[in-house]
Amino acid sequence: MTSTETTAIVDGTRGGTALLTVDAVSKRYGKTQALSTVSVELGEGEILGLVGHNGAGKSTLVRLLAGREASDTGAIRVAGLPEGAAFTAAAAERAGIRMVYQELALCPDLTVAENAALSDRRPTGALWRRRAERRIQDTLDEVFPGHGISVLDRSGEMPMAQRQMVEIARALCTDRLRLLILDEPTESLGVDAAEALYRYLHRRTADGVSAVLVSHRMHEVVGHSDRILVMKDGSIVGQYPGGTTAESTLLAAMGGEVSTDTGTLERVEAELDDQEQPAAAREGAAVLALTDSRGRELTARPGEIIGLAGLAGQGQEGVLARLWAPGLLSRSVTVPSSRAYVPGDRQVSGIFPLWTVAENLTIAATRALGRFGFVSGARKRELASTWVDMLRVRGGAAAPITSLSGGNQQKVLIARAFAADAELVLLDDPFRGVDVATKNEIYTLMKAEARSGRTIVWYSTDNKEMAHCDRVYVFRAGRIVSEMPGSDATEQRIIADSFDETEGELR
Amino acid sequence: MTSAPTIATPTQHPAVERIRTLWPAWGWSLVGTLVVLVAVIGVSGGSPLQPLSQALTLVPYLVLVAIGQMLVITLGPGNIDVSVGTNVSMASYASVAVGAAAGPGAGLAAAVGAGLAAAACSVIAILVLRIPPIIATLATSLIVSSATLMLADANRSGAPAELRSFVNARVLGVPLTAVLVAILTVAVVIVLRRTRFGLAVVATGQNSVAAAKAGLPTRTVTGVTYLISGALAGLAGGLLAAFISPSTSLGTSYLLDSVAVVVIGGTLIAGGRPVPVGVWTGALFFVLLSGLLNLLGLSVGAQNILKGLLVVLVVVISSAATGTGRSTVRRLRASLTLPGTTTKQRNNTDG
Repeated sequence: MTSTETTAIVDGTRGGTALLTVDAVSKRYGKTQALSTVSVELGEGEILGLVGHNGAGKSTLVRLLAGREASDTGAIRVAGLPEGAAFTAAAAERAGIRMVYQELALCPDLTVAENAALSDRRPTGALWRRRAERRIQDTLDEVFPGHGISVLDRSGEMPMAQRQMVEIARALCTDRLRLLILDEPTESLGVDAAEALYRYLHRRTADGVSAVLVSHRMHEVVGHSDRILVMKDGSIVGQYPGGTTAESTLLAAMGGEVSTDTGTLERVEAELDDQEQPAAAREGAAVLALTDSRGRELTARPGEIIGLAGLAGQGQEGVLARLWAPGLLSRSVTVPSSRAYVPGDRQVSGIFPLWTVAENLTIAATRALGRFGFVSGARKRELASTWVDMLRVRGGAAAPITSLSGGNQQKVLIARAFAADAELVLLDDPFRGVDVATKNEIYTLMKAEARSGRTIVWYSTDNKEMAHCDRVYVFRAGRIVSEMPGSDATEQRIIADSFDETEGELR
Repeated sequence: MTSAPTIATPTQHPAVERIRTLWPAWGWSLVGTLVVLVAVIGVSGGSPLQPLSQALTLVPYLVLVAIGQMLVITLGPGNIDVSVGTNVSMASYASVAVGAAAGPGAGLAAAVGAGLAAAACSVIAILVLRIPPIIATLATSLIVSSATLMLADANRSGAPAELRSFVNARVLGVPLTAVLVAILTVAVVIVLRRTRFGLAVVATGQNSVAAAKAGLPTRTVTGVTYLISGALAGLAGGLLAAFISPSTSLGTSYLLDSVAVVVIGGTLIAGGRPVPVGVWTGALFFVLLSGLLNLLGLSVGAQNILKGLLVVLVVVISSAATGTGRSTVRRLRASLTLPGTTTKQRNNTDG
């Protein structure tokens, strides 16, 4: 940790002029001090990496940078804007600042082109539709070659990965773009698309466009930033050069456990010891079977963790959907009767925004919490507090769910699925927007729960995470192309299998 | 579901925030009720209990219909039962027709059954044919009004005497119907807070996709909720047949009144937050207001205009004061403060 004492960091522009200066800003939400006197200077053509745990204040800082919220104290100055003028969303937009949101902000009922036109401030005439279609199509082609998106599709019907690409492309469409803020841009993208994005980003920064990159994927931040700021509890606690800094250095500065979180394991195991231990693990008969369109079978036994791997959007989500709701007449799917699901799209299909953490956490378990359709309030509170303590959900059981950071909301959703006491737990990309410490906690939880006899099937866009599984199925174009034990599931092997033409169809 | 509760503005004093969280959603409609009650007493100069007691004879029927409407509205955006008015009218005839032949109990059961049958049409249209609820219940209400006309032609009898004495009975000066409907309201509160069905209704209203992904039977819950609304409207019609008399226009005012009362009472119009107590305060406000305007000798047209304006006012004040929705007042206030000091209220997704 090089500069833990100073919160003001004002160097780091590569000798050029500063595009944007953040001067001692603070921001408070109710009781939470989200930012305390943070100062940052951003140079032209610089990529600034921003890392920190969930709730460290990264998203608050970038929302202030985009003018989406006003700071309580302090000021943000942008080169070219009149001194002393209020820094609003409109002013930020005029200054050429655009933000790509972590929670996707596309209108689901509009087409890709219409969504792009919505955020385009250039004067439009009668032919706006055609112009918008051309602009977004050109940008998509340039940034993500081979993206496979039709700009006339409604955005609500597209998979997460494609929506994320559209969200990025429509920000890049901006006229006179000077600063691009990327909040977890690659969480939903596959490896190839993420690489394409970074290649494009470096081309643009060469022309003087700056970027702020917020990500939990340390290797991406290290590999693509010129300078990395580490945030913790609303302050900047360290500054490191990009490219050369070790990931472990950043993690240490963030204040998280670098190794497996043994604390969680102990808490989870203590919890499980209270219950009886069904020993019917791994050797038992398959409780789950699914046949793909070419007759290859996916099976799982009690106590197994099954990973669905491959490039993003190759049918893994479809498999989870079939396992979740097989339909009445489907003979190609066999599943246990009690199932729980952790949806990938937290805001749209996860949280109940008017409820507290406890209510959100226990809703799937209500069947077990009482008799004759009644739900016992005491048992509900007990269940909620057990899980809140075990996963250390910040804010506690009584906090409104929307006051939690994205990572803590995700913890609640995962706890909801495991608290439901289902035989089969399905997780759709559970680590979207989740920091390393939380990730370790969730891995540990998954392993402990599997040990108690549950079957877990999960999908992740990050193929490196597949090593935590017992067995991994690699998917391409909706079909299983290979199966391997988790110990063999390296990223290289998965990528190789994803592209292996011998397994694939003939075009 | 897009309307997330907004985070308390940081500029606000903590004490203000505390009052906001403690202040019940039905608080403003209670204030409105008391203001109107004081005005009524001031104008009429009579005993303070007399207008209240009078209002309590009319309120139970509106509360019955509005509780059903509240449950339907709680199911989420797009959910509304516009067939309640015609259901009330049809059930009044069903109650009288069966009641004359088989006794008042059977008459009430027939009224509930008629409401259930009408709601079953809506449920089939909504769940099987996937028609938007407002269209489905509108179609049902057209069918129901034809049925009402047929029933009206077939019988011209009045309600049985037993039922008449039942609806006019009083316990310690309070109408018996009010007591029974109050007990029903308590039951609804318990159902919404403590049963799997009630929690599923609220969850579906907040985020139907998430409810389905959490393993809740959202379609069954939707169907049952519309059936409850139909049954309650039928029951109200059956009782009104004895309290007033069957008529083809008996239920006409109940459609708009039920929606207004639900909203005034603090139930979130976007769904996901029911306020059963508010249905009572809202209904009392509404009935007392009608009484006040009658006392003042306003014409029916003028009364309706004034009522409409007051409903809008109450909704604006209550949503601004309880911070549950971004009301007109709040937007107005935000636009009047200097740019830069306004806080763009977004869902807190701080990563």
